[in-house]
Amino acid sequence: MATATYPPPPPYYKLYKDYLQDPKSAPEPPPPIEGTYICYGANYTTDDVLPSLEEQGVRQLYPKGPNIDFKKELRSLNRELQLHILELADILVERPSQYARRVEEISLIFKNLHHLLNSLRPHQARATLIHILELQIKRRKQAVEDIKRRREEAQALLKESLESLEDTGASLMLK
Amino acid sequence: MDAISQLQEQVNKIATIAFTTIGTLQRDAPPVRISPNYPESESAPPPNPNPNLTDDATDFAMQPKLMSADLVKAAKQFDALVSALPLSEGGEEAQMKRIAELQAENSLVGQQLEKQLEAAERELEEVRELFGQAADHCLNLKKPE
Repeated sequence: MATATYPPPPPYYKLYKDYLQDPKSAPEPPPPIEGTYICYGANYTTDDVLPSLEEQGVRQLYPKGPNIDFKKELRSLNRELQLHILELADILVERPSQYARRVEEISLIFKNLHHLLNSLRPHQARATLIHILELQIKRRKQAVEDIKRRREEAQALLKESLESLEDTGASLMLK
Repeated sequence: MDAISQLQEQVNKIATIAFTTIGTLQRDAPPVRISPNYPESESAPPPNPNPNLTDDATDFAMQPKLMSADLVKAAKQFDALVSALPLSEGGEEAQMKRIAELQAENSLVGQQLEKQLEAAERELEEVRELFGQAADHCLNLKKPE
């Protein structure tokens, strides 16, 4: 049974021969990549943004614009979807060979639906951030109140013990 | 699961119901009689191995009804989920403004907290020192006989 040996390590290790004596004699690690890069033949971008539908070659069915009424658009897309499924069923009964176009339209609607839902994610992220900040402010205020109360309690205890000491001291002196 | 993931799951569920409906109906449909002449005589009814089993034809007639009821139910649930979305009004700018306000308030409260903490720690130190002194005096007063 012949087993292949492991591939050799990359030859860069020779550059780090004197690293222990002189850390500057070896090359710096490569800086983080910016912009687009190619990985296993596919293009990736470091900019984490949801690509718009046109960039993916899909027709956008809901109106573009600065502020979209998500609920209304989602509901109308749902109605369109139901209608198209019904049309598909009808056309399968009457002209079964023309299913392809209907199926394409149904998948277009699904792509639009998912893209709408994905574009809601940044909004959700910001709302989560707001919620976390509010919780943190509440906790900090609570902590401030707690510390204040404890300090006052401690002061009261000290004063009380001081008074009792003076009382016992006075009673001792009188004896 | 959060609202948007639930919506996405519901969309996928609708898709699954749609294609399983059409697929099952296409696969299991009994043959349709097109011309009155062919076949010449009615084929013999399929032998029922178990008389308790209902007829296949009635079973099959129920399938489209059940599956379409499922589809409509799933679509209604999607609508319900959409209306339950906690979508706050005001776009991105309003949210960013709110985040900036909250951050300012947070840093303010943080400073207050720090001040209180410092004062409390100072008092703790004082009390510790005083306690040490009092304990020393106690030791000194209680001379061994």
